[in-house]
Amino acid sequence: MEVTLLIQATDDSFRILEDAKSRAKELLDSASILEDARKQAKGLLDCTVGVTSEARQMEKQKIQAIFKGAQETKSGFQNFIATFSLLFVFWMLLSGKFDLFHLAIGVICSATIAYLTHDLLFANVRIGETWVIVWRFIAYMPWLTSQIIQSNMHVALLALSPRMPVDPRILRFRTKLESDISWVTLANSITLTPGTITMDINAGEFFVHALDQRVADDLHAGEMEDRVAHIFMEADHIYIQDALDVARIYVALRKWG
Amino acid sequence: MIRSSEDIIVRTVSRILVPFIQLFALYVIAHGHHSPGGGFQGGVILGASLVLLLITYGPQETRRHISEKSLIAFGSLGVIVYSGIGLICLFLLGNYLDYGKLSGLLRVVPSEARSLGILGVEIGVGFTVMAIMFSIFFDISSGGKPPDDEKNNP
Amino acid sequence: MSTFFLTIGFGLCAFVFCVLYRVVFGPGVFNRIAAISAIGTKTLIILLIMGFIYDRVEMFVDISMVYALLNFIGVLAAAKFLGLETDL
Repeated sequence: MEVTLLIQATDDSFRILEDAKSRAKELLDSASILEDARKQAKGLLDCTVGVTSEARQMEKQKIQAIFKGAQETKSGFQNFIATFSLLFVFWMLLSGKFDLFHLAIGVICSATIAYLTHDLLFANVRIGETWVIVWRFIAYMPWLTSQIIQSNMHVALLALSPRMPVDPRILRFRTKLESDISWVTLANSITLTPGTITMDINAGEFFVHALDQRVADDLHAGEMEDRVAHIFMEADHIYIQDALDVARIYVALRKWG
Repeated sequence: MIRSSEDIIVRTVSRILVPFIQLFALYVIAHGHHSPGGGFQGGVILGASLVLLLITYGPQETRRHISEKSLIAFGSLGVIVYSGIGLICLFLLGNYLDYGKLSGLLRVVPSEARSLGILGVEIGVGFTVMAIMFSIFFDISSGGKPPDDEKNNP
Repeated sequence: MSTFFLTIGFGLCAFVFCVLYRVVFGPGVFNRIAAISAIGTKTLIILLIMGFIYDRVEMFVDISMVYALLNFIGVLAAAKFLGLETDL
């Protein structure tokens, strides 16, 4: 994914900036430097300290916010109505009887459970766009099924050939998704597709075990992640903070060399 | 002392599943007379949903959804419903738990009254079984120590 | 039609006996937990096939759903209990 390359590029530039920071400190400490060199080194030090620590702080806060999960929901009533309707549809699917007595019992049971657990089901969804997300989720299923069938045939071919050319490896990557339910959808889709298993999500990084180079390449191309981001309407805008950080790093590097 | 799970996949999946598990449990209770199920089975599934909430979110978050006072209330409510129906049948000049005598009260045919009486009794059984299952699990797994919160700490 | 379902059922039972080897001889407790969870998924399908054979599918669908639920919760609780040396 191009995001992985971007993260690697920013990692490299962070490392360059750390080196620049230490060198600027040495320059400041040594006694025999000219005044403008000292000023230049100080300027570079302020610039780099500002960029690295603040960007890392923001990223850590973002990951902690995602892990916390449920945000404060401002409209409990809309959550209640959505939960009630989903539960009532589920009740009608389960019980095939449509006479008044059973429908009344269904309404009472769904209303009670929706009242008691209204902050559980739709905790992280943006208000007002619940039905679009539900419809897009339903439309995602056929594509996932076709991916499962393709990977199934590839893994069956691998397992049934006499010399079994498996090449297991563990991948480690970050994603551009922003909320816990989209992380879980991506992790479950990766696990459902034969050939890859999500082992852990640790501090914002996915650890995925893959069977083969071709399966790992399918994952790195990033199509599944783009589709999951399209379901939950995330990562479809430009982060202005990233652009500002890159601009500052560029200016600092130009001043230095 | 039960800690909340640090795995985000387990936490998210269990918080989405719990309402559906509880609805399935109420479906099993309500359709006890022409599908496998009944009061005890539905109560066990309700208790299992609360146990799932406990092992993935920890005791503090679970107590927001069902406090210990309401747990004791549910346990007693089930017994009151069960014996209450039996006593009403006794007051209407029948035997204990003779549901046929409820037909005068509910204005239906006696066979329909027996069906509704059994449904009421199953609901009572379900409440009690849910409360007792959850409190047995909680007491055994926390080792008998009360969960520490702000009121108990000196 | 009943012969077709019977054959599938016996095939799945043969798979269950293969996985039973890991339950008995698995070195360590986590292998046994994973094997029991795998047996649980086969059991679901065997229950549904029995429903088709006896021509009462609705009843066995309910039982299968309950078993899937309890399998999930049981494996979670067992893994949590056996994975830590101190408390839960």
